[in-house]
Amino acid sequence: MRDLLSKLDGVGRRQFLEYAAKSALGVSVLPVFNQMVDAAPTKTKGGKAKRLIYLYMAGAMSHLDTFDLKPGHKNQGETKAIKTSVPGAKISEFLPTLAEEFDKMAVINSMYTETGAHGPGEYMMRTSYKKIATTRHPSMGPWIQRFKGRQNQNLPDTVLVSAPARHPSAGFLDPSFSPLPIGDPNRGLENTKSPSYLSDNSFEKRMDLINKFDRKFQNKFKTKDVLAYTDFYSQATSLLSSDELKAFDLNEEKAEDRDKYGRNSFGQGCMLARRLVQNDVRCVEVTFGGWDMHRDIYEDRTLPTRAGILDKALGSLLKDLSDLGLLDETLVVLTTEFGRTPVINKNAGRDHHPGVFSAALMGGGIKGGHFYGKSDAGGQSVDEDGVLPADFNATIATALNLPLDKEIFSPDGRPFKVAHDGEAVTKLL
Amino acid sequence: MSGKQVSCPGGLTRHWKMYGSCAVVLTFLIFSCLPDSEAAPRRKSSKKAAPKKEEPLPPRFMVKSKPVSPVKSSAALKSAEKIDKFVETNYSKHKVKPNPLATDEQFLRRVYLDITGTIPTYRETRYFLASRHPDKRKRLIDRLLDSDGYASHYFNYWADVLRYTDRLNNNVDGGPYRQWIKQSLAENKPWDKMVEEMISAEGLIWENPATGYLQRDSGMPLDNMNNTVRIFLGTRIGCAQCHDHPFDRWKQKEFYEMAAFTFGSSTRASGRNKDLYTNGDPNRRLRKEYQEMGQEEKDRRRNQGRFNRMIRVNMMVVTDQVNRKIQLPHDYAYSDAKPKSVVQPKTIFGKPADIKKGEAPRQAFARWMVSKDNPRFALTISNRLWTQVFGRGQIEPVDDMMDSTVAENPELMKYLESEMKRLNFDMKEYLRILFNTKTYQRQASTTDVPLTEQYHFPGPVLRRMTAEQAWDSFLTLAVVDPEEYRELPSNVQSEIVAVNLNTATAREVLDADVKKRAEIDKTRYKREKKYKYKGQLLARASELPSPVSPSHFLRTFGQSDRELISASSDSGSVPQILFMFNGPVTHMMLEKGSTIYNNVVGQKTVKDGVDVIFMTILNRHPDSEEAKIAMGEIDKNGPAGYGNVIWSLVNTREFLFIQ
Repeated sequence: MRDLLSKLDGVGRRQFLEYAAKSALGVSVLPVFNQMVDAAPTKTKGGKAKRLIYLYMAGAMSHLDTFDLKPGHKNQGETKAIKTSVPGAKISEFLPTLAEEFDKMAVINSMYTETGAHGPGEYMMRTSYKKIATTRHPSMGPWIQRFKGRQNQNLPDTVLVSAPARHPSAGFLDPSFSPLPIGDPNRGLENTKSPSYLSDNSFEKRMDLINKFDRKFQNKFKTKDVLAYTDFYSQATSLLSSDELKAFDLNEEKAEDRDKYGRNSFGQGCMLARRLVQNDVRCVEVTFGGWDMHRDIYEDRTLPTRAGILDKALGSLLKDLSDLGLLDETLVVLTTEFGRTPVINKNAGRDHHPGVFSAALMGGGIKGGHFYGKSDAGGQSVDEDGVLPADFNATIATALNLPLDKEIFSPDGRPFKVAHDGEAVTKLL
Repeated sequence: MSGKQVSCPGGLTRHWKMYGSCAVVLTFLIFSCLPDSEAAPRRKSSKKAAPKKEEPLPPRFMVKSKPVSPVKSSAALKSAEKIDKFVETNYSKHKVKPNPLATDEQFLRRVYLDITGTIPTYRETRYFLASRHPDKRKRLIDRLLDSDGYASHYFNYWADVLRYTDRLNNNVDGGPYRQWIKQSLAENKPWDKMVEEMISAEGLIWENPATGYLQRDSGMPLDNMNNTVRIFLGTRIGCAQCHDHPFDRWKQKEFYEMAAFTFGSSTRASGRNKDLYTNGDPNRRLRKEYQEMGQEEKDRRRNQGRFNRMIRVNMMVVTDQVNRKIQLPHDYAYSDAKPKSVVQPKTIFGKPADIKKGEAPRQAFARWMVSKDNPRFALTISNRLWTQVFGRGQIEPVDDMMDSTVAENPELMKYLESEMKRLNFDMKEYLRILFNTKTYQRQASTTDVPLTEQYHFPGPVLRRMTAEQAWDSFLTLAVVDPEEYRELPSNVQSEIVAVNLNTATAREVLDADVKKRAEIDKTRYKREKKYKYKGQLLARASELPSPVSPSHFLRTFGQSDRELISASSDSGSVPQILFMFNGPVTHMMLEKGSTIYNNVVGQKTVKDGVDVIFMTILNRHPDSEEAKIAMGEIDKNGPAGYGNVIWSLVNTREFLFIQ
């Protein structure tokens, strides 16, 4: 971030200059506003997180109505600020549980991005790169696996819950890095129940039968693809009889515990994420849509409902991870593609606003209980310590101890880095 | 054989009786059609057997397939022989022992998968294996190329290459383009014509569906040029988009000169375009009118977004702007030109493109590209199709040629390219030649040849089924008529959505949206209901959404998400095996009424039943040892034993791989 200008090119750079001029920000040399962060940097930064839970608010979460309130300003709208467990820090009234857990959260209120279109914005947030038609960049889970190797022998290291079809997934990396998609967390991992018409005592016998029928073929064709499949068959067989399968089954949880997370796709997705990281899955991403609130934002089923679902699910997740002693090693990320316009539109909604927005980091060695960066008085643009998606991802990568400078070549020979040219926000680590 | 019936042993025997009469009808049909053909005809006569009163089918988009010409058959065979000679010369040159010729069983299964994308049915298998016609292979190849299955299978291939998505961009629904691709393949539109139409198309997508090609990269003209050159000319100039190409000779300036041909082509009309909008900017006029429509405030708010979108949808017109010139980037770093200087169109190889007076450079570019004089156009398509047929290219990869690239067998590659030109880019005829070669009709190779080594084609490469082949083959086992469901003809929607922006009132624009939602979106459930099983739409892969959801069978088996060119994958994974073990289609396959179930219940003895199971799944008879194992399993477990045998056979590598 020292050198914001040099890393923006083309249109991005021009826009940034215009925007910097307007907000009189430029490359800020003002002393950093940050009452909670230790002034003295520690020597080794990051590297504590071993797992990642990535919560994505699709549609663009309104910063003014969640984490970046502007009480008394005409832009605030109807949302009231409430106190949190950290003196002086206030967040939205729709997030009462997170207010209690605020000591675990580092909220960045100075995120900004280049684009105000959902698809490209989401892509930029997940990959640090601009979406282009000629390659596809990997998302964070596959990057982790690329650098750290496979952790889980039975299951992919990354699980995506309720992800959209356009998710960048493993990008240009080998398909073996592809995340496992789970459509509905309530159903967990699909296709694990045997057809009922088969004789039930006989899974092993049926496996035996496969091999008897297939012996001639397998003896004739000793290619690596055929052998690989034989391997996958034994992996699948051991998975079906292993305890790991239970990690996907929310029915193993008490009903009242499931209620705590909220009986909705996102709530149950967060609970599933917790169960999976407990069972050695390295990265779980849960997508929660419906934040694109162009009209009637304060109507009960719009913002209050969405924020309420987020509050319950993330609040329960933080509590549980902390109680289980997993929070220190599990980085929890809450993010979105951009913010929403501070000025409420004529349809009583808020539109797309890439100028400034909020995201949060929790656990995984992140120092909690404070805000980082600032938007201006009306929540229009960055006032201090602007953080681009690439910087945000560099912070995540550093927390996970991934090398920011290491270039990985795509099959067509182009070099890419985990967080593009982002710089980690070391004050958070 | 659903859950309920398991608790009732002997259920299968009972169904045998019920289905006995059907079996007679089936047998009758088989024999009444036998003499003429090796590929089973469609079961049209079933109307006579069981006239049923059923709801009329929803509107379906059907391709009209054009058959290959009988007249050209002998030329095709001669050409096939010539190819074999080229290949055999290389055998002796490189001391390669060719694989033995494929058996009828191997040939049958492979050629079905390679042309129509699915394994043959039991009936089709019986026909072919029983036939003693000396030309039965040749005749089968023709039959399959004539069938609609050809367009279905090759659509899957091109959808992967072209990154086809049902929403080409935020405002353009791809339906017309999708159906244009299918129909172009079915009617065997010459490849040069098809490509020229894509590159040069103008207008709205429902007026000219080939505009879908440009709409896919809407707003990204540089990327589009990069993709075009890669897909159709087998050359990657993408690196030169940002800097001189590090591995090839392309300069950044050359990239911009190529991009200059299409840079002025826009995918979205401006409201100020006076040629299109004679009544002023429709955006301004209609939005103003919208506010004055007298809607209730709540409705006005709710409908605003939809209204705006409907206008945008109607403004997605591909046009050419003469004044839009491309400039080098502001940080252009080479000495051959100044940053930001305007670049004139110029081709990177071959002859110059001749831009006629008054025409958009894009038109000249399209002609240049598909010309027989273009050094890489015919070469690329002939190598692509060769790769599809043999599992390995003469040139690998198919889309990264350089000046230094040498084909495995340069004389052969030269001949293939000249054949493509002689045939005037007739793809079916070209494929007909390849499938008739002895080289194709050899057994698949049993060992790996790494991509770093030359493969001299002792036979085709052993391949895993593509995701679409696996899905369509499963359907062939499970669903009695997997071809019944078809996508909705795109004109049904286009006719609702198309609004004349010069004359329409705001009310008409809004009504178009209301009608579209009521008649297209909200009827979807009803259209698909009959074809759904456990939430899965049981239709050919080529009829399903593109991309399908990430957890779908197709995606699990490696179907592309349509973001990258040729991004499909054939590597394995644990979730794939779970689908094979326990997926919905596996479940369905063994329930009453599935194809294989119907095939089995018609049999009189266990031995016949076992034979039918092997013939249905692996398209071959069991050998005596396999028959013994299967019969033992059924003797021991009764009806569930049938299930165990079927389940085991679909889980063999022999099922999933194409030998």
